[in-house]
Amino acid sequence: MIKFGPGNLRIPRFEKPVYVVAGGLTDYRKRYPEKNSSQLCTEALRMAVEENDLKVSPEEFRRMVNWVVYSQFADHFGDQLLAASKIHDYIGFDPLGNIEVKTGGATGGSSVLAAAQAVASGYATCVPVVGWERMDEVPTKVGNAYIASAACKDFESELGWMYAAYYALMAQRYQHENKVPRETLAKIACKNYEHACYSPYSQNPGHYTVEQVLENDMVADPLSFLECCVMSVGAAVLILADEETAYRMTDNPMKLTAICGGTHTLRTADRRNMPILLLPNETEDTYKDYFTEERSEWPGFSSFLAARMAAYLAYNMAGVADPIEDFDLLETHDAFTISDVQTYEDIGLRPYGRGREFIDSGDAYMDGRLPTNPSGGLIGTMHAVGATGIFQLVEVLWQMQNKWDHFHAEPERWARYGKTKPEDFRSLQVPNVKRACAISHAGTGSHVTCSIMEKP
Amino acid sequence: MAIELDGTTAEVLNRDPLVIKNLKNWHHIHSYGGWGQFFTALLDKKLMATRCTNPECEEKRLWLPPRCECPDCWHEMEWVEAPQVGTILTHSTVLYPGAPFRATIPCPLISVELEGVCTKLMSYLKEGKPEIGMPVKAVFNTEKPTNTILDLAWVPA
Repeated sequence: MIKFGPGNLRIPRFEKPVYVVAGGLTDYRKRYPEKNSSQLCTEALRMAVEENDLKVSPEEFRRMVNWVVYSQFADHFGDQLLAASKIHDYIGFDPLGNIEVKTGGATGGSSVLAAAQAVASGYATCVPVVGWERMDEVPTKVGNAYIASAACKDFESELGWMYAAYYALMAQRYQHENKVPRETLAKIACKNYEHACYSPYSQNPGHYTVEQVLENDMVADPLSFLECCVMSVGAAVLILADEETAYRMTDNPMKLTAICGGTHTLRTADRRNMPILLLPNETEDTYKDYFTEERSEWPGFSSFLAARMAAYLAYNMAGVADPIEDFDLLETHDAFTISDVQTYEDIGLRPYGRGREFIDSGDAYMDGRLPTNPSGGLIGTMHAVGATGIFQLVEVLWQMQNKWDHFHAEPERWARYGKTKPEDFRSLQVPNVKRACAISHAGTGSHVTCSIMEKP
Repeated sequence: MAIELDGTTAEVLNRDPLVIKNLKNWHHIHSYGGWGQFFTALLDKKLMATRCTNPECEEKRLWLPPRCECPDCWHEMEWVEAPQVGTILTHSTVLYPGAPFRATIPCPLISVELEGVCTKLMSYLKEGKPEIGMPVKAVFNTEKPTNTILDLAWVPA
């Protein structure tokens, strides 16, 4: 049993408000031999600084930066230790201070958290967060082994060298306890593949039917290939600033009212039974009928305590009473269809055991109550791991600034990446987003961050 | 004296943009430290877990994989033999493993529930078709041990 003391659940506080000023992306590809990692990071940074209608010139921007956070998941993918140091140099930020953050798949979210902490404390006033991953140096099977080196190498990695299988163990148990139809899971993949069709940045877009997803080959049952995220090369940049600096740079900054992190044991095996940590929209009564003979433990193999912890802190920090009512947009870390359903429950979109209703009700769709992953997510658009959590917040920022069309609909953007804007293109701009949420997540829920961005 | 290269070359995979193949071939020396006794015990067909020896510790749970220090009080643990019969909590069959995987596929991974153990050890089912709730017993690979977690597997009990 995990027992919380009075300090453990303290709600974090920013001493100074933190603003999000601008964001930039590259496109995402399975292989990107044309550009090295320094080029990709520079490209994303240039988009952030030169294409977001900032009131300062690139030269003025460079004179305003006073701290930089770098985000890369795995040194062995890029085969370059201290790659951040090299990128910092190529971008031209020496001798300013920097730090590189690593928390697995949640590295992007954690890097933004580190940057927010710097701004909130007054340590810095203008902080670019630069994330990237280069996953094309090794064959996919070696890539999977590299990712599985982030599981426990003593007691687990040898068992398959395959993170999808470790998620699949959770998925099988979740299905045993909650019996989600595979059709519901397939609908998540179809939704995100379709959203990716309207993104010039996306690596893996497609119009799929539920049947096509269900008939696809299994990677590790019950997960099929089309239910798993991509491996990508690419970069993303988000610029954070304090209030004064933010308004000097743009008339339209967004406020990062909360960003909080939680963790749980790297081995799913070691997750001990404990009472459910309740979110503001839940009471003891919510779970009076939850536990049965089959479903006797929490978080068990069905839930991510790290996500629940991050949401608990962030919701209380930002004053979120009910996520479905209070958020207008959500970006989840849809590494696998079923982990997305598990996350819906962890972040309180539905009580535990009922996550499927978020999809089946239509809530998660563009015309639903809480449009989710219009970016195309990890399944459709990208998972260049160190860039992923940053990419999510860049897409959220553009949505909130009403710039989604500017960054997705213009034919020149498609041409820039050697693509043609599809004839069936449709705008995924969510109207009037006042408050949005993004979840960054590391396998199998070992690290999770929950970010909340609001109109000031 | 002129400096000589050793004569090896990096294969050119693509000329423009230039892509070359760097070869890597070396070993890692993997130290199990205090966890080593677990792997050594597998050779004697024993499944060893650890329990906290601190009389003040409220939890005193049995951990498998073993831990050298109690995560609840940081006190040292003692080795205790764990039961070799349990049930399958969950399973998934690996069809596309990562490159270094050393078993045949399809390989059913399982998480095993053992009486008195607070964790759900990940392992694999050596024979049979896995089902949730299925009783299983431990088997040990002692003939040609890998000296890894693969030396422990389970079969239907």
